[in-house]
Amino acid sequence: MSGKHGHKPFEGHMHDYLAHVRAVEEDLEYYRAKRFEPRIFYLLRRNVVTFYDLLKVGSTLRKKDHFFKIAKPQGKNIEARVRHLEEWLDEYVKGIALVSARTVEGMDMVTEDNRKERGDYDDFFKIKKKEHQGTLDERMVNLQQDLTDYTELLEVFVQALIRRGWATREELAQRWQQLHDERPWAGGVIVAKAWTDPEFKRALLDTGREALREMGVHQGKVGKLVVVENTEQTHNVVVCTLCSCYPYDILGDTPWWYKHESYRANIVQNPRACIKDMFQLEIPSDKELRVWDSTSDVRYFVLPQRPAGTEGMPEQELAKLVTVDSLIGAGYALEPSQLREREAAHVEPEMPRLRPD
Amino acid sequence: MSETDSKYKIGDAVIVANDNPTGNPRTPRYIRGKRGVIGLVHGILENVRDHRGIHNPLYTVRFDLSELAPCHDTDTIWVDVHEEWLSRATRDS
Repeated sequence: MSGKHGHKPFEGHMHDYLAHVRAVEEDLEYYRAKRFEPRIFYLLRRNVVTFYDLLKVGSTLRKKDHFFKIAKPQGKNIEARVRHLEEWLDEYVKGIALVSARTVEGMDMVTEDNRKERGDYDDFFKIKKKEHQGTLDERMVNLQQDLTDYTELLEVFVQALIRRGWATREELAQRWQQLHDERPWAGGVIVAKAWTDPEFKRALLDTGREALREMGVHQGKVGKLVVVENTEQTHNVVVCTLCSCYPYDILGDTPWWYKHESYRANIVQNPRACIKDMFQLEIPSDKELRVWDSTSDVRYFVLPQRPAGTEGMPEQELAKLVTVDSLIGAGYALEPSQLREREAAHVEPEMPRLRPD
Repeated sequence: MSETDSKYKIGDAVIVANDNPTGNPRTPRYIRGKRGVIGLVHGILENVRDHRGIHNPLYTVRFDLSELAPCHDTDTIWVDVHEEWLSRATRDS
C-alpha cells in the first residue's frame, strides 16, 4: 500500500497485525478509562449501584445466567485471533452503551457529567490507562486477559442494575438487539456526491446536517455539523483537544488516534509537524493549514479534494476513494492507482461501524 | 438556533478571558488570554444529550498559530468558544 503519500502506520489493515492490535489496545483502554469506569463511579456516588451490589453479584452469578456471551475465535491463525479480539472489543463497547444513561431508567446522566467524572477538565479525576509492551503474541495474550477481566466487571454491573431494579433483563435484551443494528457507513457516499453535484456541495457547506437530511442520510442529534472544504489554498484538519468530539453519528466510530492524547496535544502545538510525523503527510508550504478544535456543540468534518484522474468516474467508484483519515484532514482521498493497489493486495476497505442512536 | 442574539459578528477582534470559573468548562487552556477574530457565529445551540440547560451563544474564533505556540508557520487554529469567555479587543489590548 505504498502510494504517493506513503505508508500510514495509524491505519488498520489486516495485513498489518500490529496496527490492528494497537488499535484494539488503545480503544479498549479508552472505553474502559473514559466511558465505563467513570460511569461506575458516577453511579456509585449516587447510590444507583454500590460496591456491595457488585460483590454480591460477582460471588453468586452462574455462568448460564450471563448476559454477555463471548464467541470463540473462528480459527487458530493470527488473523482469526486478531479478528476475535476486535469483535470482542466491539461487544464490550456495545455493552457499555447498554448500561449508559439513556437506556437505563432513573439514570439522568448527560455526556457532560461523564466528562467531569473522567477528568476532561481536571487531571485529578483521570483514570490511568494501561501501557502495552511485549511481542505481538504477548500483547494478544494480554489483550485476551484484559477483555476477560473488563467484560466480567461489565457483566456484574449489568446484573447489579437488574437486581437493583433499574432495568429489567427483557428491556436490556431488547436494547442489546437494537445495538446490533448497524447502519451502512455513509462517509464515502456523502463526499462523492459533493464532488459531482455542485448544488449539493454548496448546501453541505452552508447548512451541514440539513443537506444530509435532504439526501436521506440518517443522523443523530450530536450538535451542529460544520463541513470544511479542502482546496488548493487551504488544508483543514479536525481535533477535539478537550475530549474526542467527532460527528460519529455520520462518520461512525472514531479512529483510536483521534482520541489519543498525543494527537490532541500535538496538532495544536505544531500542526504541520504532527501531521507529518503521525500520517506522513506533508502539507505544501504555500497552503494555509487550518486546525478546527471542536466542542461538543459543533462537530466538524473535512471535505477532501477530489483526486486527479477521476474525471467521469461514477459516484459509486468515487466513494471508494474516501478514507476516514481524509475526512479528518489526516490524509488525502486515495488516487485511483492507490485504490487499485489496495484492491490487488486485498486490503479491506475502511467501513467504520455506524452505531444506532 | 438563533444567531440574532449573538453579541459579536464575523471579523470582530476578541480576547478570551484568562479565567472564568463560572463559564463553560469547554474553553481550552491554550487560548485563554489570547487574541483572536470571530470566524463563525453559531448562535445558541441546543444540545440536550450533551449537557443540561442552554449555553450562551457560540462562536468559532480564529487564532493565528503564532499567537498560541512558538511556531513560525502562518497557519490558523479555529476554536469554539462560548460568549461569556469573550470580550472585545481594543487596539491596546
